[in-house]
Amino acid sequence: MRYAEPETVEEGLALLAAHDDARCLAGGASLVAMMNAGRVAPGMLVSLHRIPELSDITETGDGLWLGAMCTHRGVAAEPRLRGAMAVVRSAAGQLAHPAIRNMATLGGSVCLADPHTELPAALVAASARAEVAGPGGRRLVPVESLLVDGFRTSLQRGELVTRVFIPRGTDGAVGHHLRFSRVSSDYPTVSLSLVLVMDGDTCRQARVVVGASGPVPLHVDAADQRLVGTRLEEADVAEAGRLLVRAATPLDDVRGSAEYRRMLIPRLLGRALSQAREHAHV
Amino acid sequence: MSSHPKPEPVGDVVGASVPKPDAREKVTGRAVYTDDLRVPGMLHGVLLGSPHAHARILSYDTSLAKALPGVRAVLTAEDLPPVDIGAVIKDQPLLARGKVRYVGEPVAAVAAVDPTTARRALELIRVQYEVLPPVFDAEAALRPDAPVLHAPRGPGHPNAASHIRLIEGEPDGAWAKCDVIIEDVYETPAQQHIYLEPCSTLAEVDPDTGRITLHTSTQTAFRVQAITAEALAVPMSRIRVLVPRVGGAFGGKVESTNQPITAALALATGAPVKMTFSRTDDMTMMRSRHGARIHMRTGATRDGRILARQVRIYFDTGAYADDGPFVANIGSYFARGPYRIPHVDVECWCVYTNKLRAGAFRGFGNPQIHFASEVQVDRLAEALGMDPIELRLRNALETGEKWLGGAPVESGTLHACLERAREVSDWQRRRQRAPPAPGKRRGIGMAAVAHVSGLLGSSATVRINEDGSVNVSTGAVDTGQGSDTALAQVAAGALGVPLSQLHFSRPDTDTSPYDWCTGGTRTTFTVGHVITQACEQVREQLFEHASAMLQRPVQQLELRPGGHVGVRGEPGTSVSFGAISGYALYVAGGPILASARWLFPAWQLDTQRTHVEGLTSMGNGFFVFAAQVAEVEVDELTGHVEVLEAWSVHDVGRVINPAAAEGQIQGGFVQGLGYALTEELLWKEGHLLNPTMGGYKVPGALDVPRAIHSVLLEHPAGPGPFGAKGVAEVSLVGVAPAICNAIRHATGANIRRIPATGERVLRELLARETQGGH
Repeated sequence: MRYAEPETVEEGLALLAAHDDARCLAGGASLVAMMNAGRVAPGMLVSLHRIPELSDITETGDGLWLGAMCTHRGVAAEPRLRGAMAVVRSAAGQLAHPAIRNMATLGGSVCLADPHTELPAALVAASARAEVAGPGGRRLVPVESLLVDGFRTSLQRGELVTRVFIPRGTDGAVGHHLRFSRVSSDYPTVSLSLVLVMDGDTCRQARVVVGASGPVPLHVDAADQRLVGTRLEEADVAEAGRLLVRAATPLDDVRGSAEYRRMLIPRLLGRALSQAREHAHV
Repeated sequence: MSSHPKPEPVGDVVGASVPKPDAREKVTGRAVYTDDLRVPGMLHGVLLGSPHAHARILSYDTSLAKALPGVRAVLTAEDLPPVDIGAVIKDQPLLARGKVRYVGEPVAAVAAVDPTTARRALELIRVQYEVLPPVFDAEAALRPDAPVLHAPRGPGHPNAASHIRLIEGEPDGAWAKCDVIIEDVYETPAQQHIYLEPCSTLAEVDPDTGRITLHTSTQTAFRVQAITAEALAVPMSRIRVLVPRVGGAFGGKVESTNQPITAALALATGAPVKMTFSRTDDMTMMRSRHGARIHMRTGATRDGRILARQVRIYFDTGAYADDGPFVANIGSYFARGPYRIPHVDVECWCVYTNKLRAGAFRGFGNPQIHFASEVQVDRLAEALGMDPIELRLRNALETGEKWLGGAPVESGTLHACLERAREVSDWQRRRQRAPPAPGKRRGIGMAAVAHVSGLLGSSATVRINEDGSVNVSTGAVDTGQGSDTALAQVAAGALGVPLSQLHFSRPDTDTSPYDWCTGGTRTTFTVGHVITQACEQVREQLFEHASAMLQRPVQQLELRPGGHVGVRGEPGTSVSFGAISGYALYVAGGPILASARWLFPAWQLDTQRTHVEGLTSMGNGFFVFAAQVAEVEVDELTGHVEVLEAWSVHDVGRVINPAAAEGQIQGGFVQGLGYALTEELLWKEGHLLNPTMGGYKVPGALDVPRAIHSVLLEHPAGPGPFGAKGVAEVSLVGVAPAICNAIRHATGANIRRIPATGERVLRELLARETQGGH
């Protein structure tokens, strides 16, 4: 196996283009574990650690650009991730455990596209967009459309994610991430990411995304719409929960049965909404 | 066993929280474990596991694997002596012979120059199988038409590894006299040991003598020596076993692990071979706790006297008996609980199925039966409208009363444990239910615990060196729990020397005196006993010489702290151990040394009192008692249970090292918490679904209660050193029922199957809602 540490995105892209079996090494939390288990054996590892722009965080009027090499620990500690954007911060702070949060990166989470972990769902809830660099230049892709299947993205061979844009969202919006797992630090059995705008007791905007309940983060427009205009009373939440459950395609696995996950979705939705509303009042 | 002298320890080392001498090297990563050992020319061994749960082996083709460069040996059963091993039933080949009986069963072994080459060779081994119908459930395996795993050994169902019946009183007639009867079926999981150090062995063969030296992670150097000799059909004298630091064992390393097959590879290649399991190989190939299904019925009178109990236990021992029949003995022996129930009917089956073997694991059959018994007694208290502790106090055995089978309880301190548990947990107040967090329900529960301490043979040699320092040699393995430290403290206290003048030897079958095993809550208790006996003989020799040196009769002499003998009441007079040793070595008598040995007596079964079938004694049974309390919060939405605080009250007889005892109790509580809430091997059609630390979840640092209060009571009794009793396994035994009783107190949910995962608890909560409960 060969190993390279390019210092610019362009050098990195050239290396990816030159080697068919090249892989990007970000934090290594998943890739190195998979290599140790013999599940992947890249011929070329392109480390992204020495590319300065991948660690930049830039604030604009519309939101925040987070470099792909930002660690989850860094994201969790980023005070500018407020309002709607806090859903990403909240998810990053709850992911796995400190050792993983110190290693693993935002870009790594996007490209791994593991449906069982926190960030994909939170980024979809935040309406985040990923900047993808490739041989033809750079383009912006909504994370929601980048994630096409479990462990599969729409990235083409030779492309890499350089940074992620988190839009600021509506004034007064709150973002929140709620996870449930067997033990702390386990992958979530189910997670709920949401962005909520309240006007008094009335919901003006809602964007609800369920994690670990299908191959990609589950986002159902009808469920969001079912909440908008309501006072988020029990029947409203239950009906929105039913719409999500109807679209969910969870699996039976060691973390819980598919049926349990279907039971948890509406239950955790109610809890996530009330926790988010508490944040809204702070 | 009643009249052992109980000398008081000399000095203050017994009862002191002396740090473990190996603690620093462990926390700094310098400790040397088996896998850290490297010798020139060392090969690496790996095993090929069966892909089928039950299949006939038709043929092997190892030629491609043998041809791979770097491969030095490929073994199958055809290359090994036709020997089956097993502690109780000789049913187990080193590599599957003729048949495979579980997925993962070792079928072939490879030694190669590096682990990658060895694993690549595994992929080149071709084995032809004829798949047979499997059976995965213990009760189903006892049906007449069930697939049979092993050749019948006699009458009775061939899948029954053992069958026990214990009857006392007249159980059939007693039910009519009961005012309240509770009946349920309880299920407990196959829990795995998850010792941090996977099984590992380095085998070396001396080219001149053919002698095999094994460095290995084990609980017993001597059993490994005996089993390896048996399996390879070589004399025991050709095998030497040494034990480096051990990273946990918990019963999983009581029998052989990968020692015999690693030795076979070393013999086949003539080179040193190391085999260290990956976590997944360890979880797939070694052993687990017995999963159990327990049908139990208990009846009591209105005033809270428990009158009758009927129990039918099915222990699933997997593909091989291993320690299963012994586990079934303990499970049956504890089926009445620590209560005076006059009418009892116990039936117990230990059954083969096509799964990973089950064997010894901290508690050894007792956590299973305690779960059923203590949850059922709690429900009985509820039905009677009595406080759970009150009901237990009313029925708890006291000193002199008889255990199931007729053995006397020699130190019946359960009352003391229950009363202290009630006090330290502030039971009455917490039972009123503190307001929980929103969306949560809070409750507190408890369990009474009884276990046995000590079994089988131990020996110790103690000698005084020329400078007066002391060497203690026992053959006992410290598995990380700290027995080397506690036993050194026992010797230091018996002779009055500081620990700095005492050397405690690590086990080596060439030089150490015999010890059966670090297991059965026995090491401090049994090995400590023989150390005090040897020290007593050494003291007599010291006094004999000191009497001549000081010109005083032996009766006037005493041991003094610091390694001195003096005249009682005369502070100025004393001679040091060094001076006495010099006198013995050069003037009279010869070197000072002594040995002591002991075989723990077999348990008593009174066949006049009890109808006994199928129960064999390993000879263990000094009863020890404890009480455990847990406070929990249950999440109404998810069913997730959080243990907030816990109390574990143990009569340890005499505290040797308080910090070590408290640590062991806390560790037992956490392992019990995993058993209660999260740990469970899951199979699908015979394949393990979670043979990784990611899939199989042990509690982490954030999952344990904010405080686990270890409370040590001292009621010295029995043959242990200075009246000490065992504590090791005890601290796990009552945790699951205490937690499940707390869940029921919080929510009303009657948990009959552990682990009480969020999913299971939520289903119980919803079932109660639809039944109109609250």
